[in-house]
Amino acid sequence: MSDPTPTTPDQVVLITRFFEASREAVFRAWTDPDELAAWYGPAHMDAPRERIRIDLRVGGRWELTMVQRGGTAEFSIGYDILELVEPELLVMRSDPMPGMDSHEPTVVRVEFHDHGAKTRMTLSDGPYPTGSSHAAAGWTAALDKLATTVAA
Amino acid sequence: MQTDQLSLTFAALADPTRRSIMTRLAEGEATVSELAEPFAVSLPAISRHLKVLERAGLIVRIRDAQWRPSRMQADPLDDAVEWMQSRKRTWEARMDRLDAHLSRKENTDE
Repeated sequence: MSDPTPTTPDQVVLITRFFEASREAVFRAWTDPDELAAWYGPAHMDAPRERIRIDLRVGGRWELTMVQRGGTAEFSIGYDILELVEPELLVMRSDPMPGMDSHEPTVVRVEFHDHGAKTRMTLSDGPYPTGSSHAAAGWTAALDKLATTVAA
Repeated sequence: MQTDQLSLTFAALADPTRRSIMTRLAEGEATVSELAEPFAVSLPAISRHLKVLERAGLIVRIRDAQWRPSRMQADPLDDAVEWMQSRKRTWEARMDRLDAHLSRKENTDE
């Protein structure tokens, strides 16, 4: 994959959220290890501060380990920072995660848009595997349609 | 589900003729000639499409029946949709926690 930026929306997870905070604050939540430790892990896992390492620059790294609460399971993720415009943009490419069936890197692109007291954050994560570069066109629509048909 | 299976599923569905075949099969079993009817392609061409869909586990072909009708298998399709949706759910849940974190900070700072 020569172009690291997902260009086909059908292959990516897209999320838009408004937050009641300045975009500096939202950007900081993504890039300050102390803040990341407070929110990143899933509900049943923690992201311990001492296992977060962020080298905030283009070409730097964004790494953390999620640890199962009251258990022993842990899961490490790592990203290369591809683009960085404080406090507007963070683009990172994942290390392959075979444990998550993600053998190819995906790119997480987070944009922080200023709406005064609020921030609109858009996130895209992908591309997820489609088997071939030609596979993208329309498959989500096709799958949704077929899944609906099957469920009916 | 393995990525290889997902790749097969997605590649199989990348073709408009094969998607039409799947839509038709969602209504029930059909023979090769029945499936070929709406398309301006030969029976062997339809058979080739069916092989791709069969290899991807999206359909089964009933071996012992004279006309070998094809039948839809929903599992790989559901898995493919489920996998993308689970990624989305993970991010949505994470954003809920980010929202809660920012609210807590806001209250602490005031």
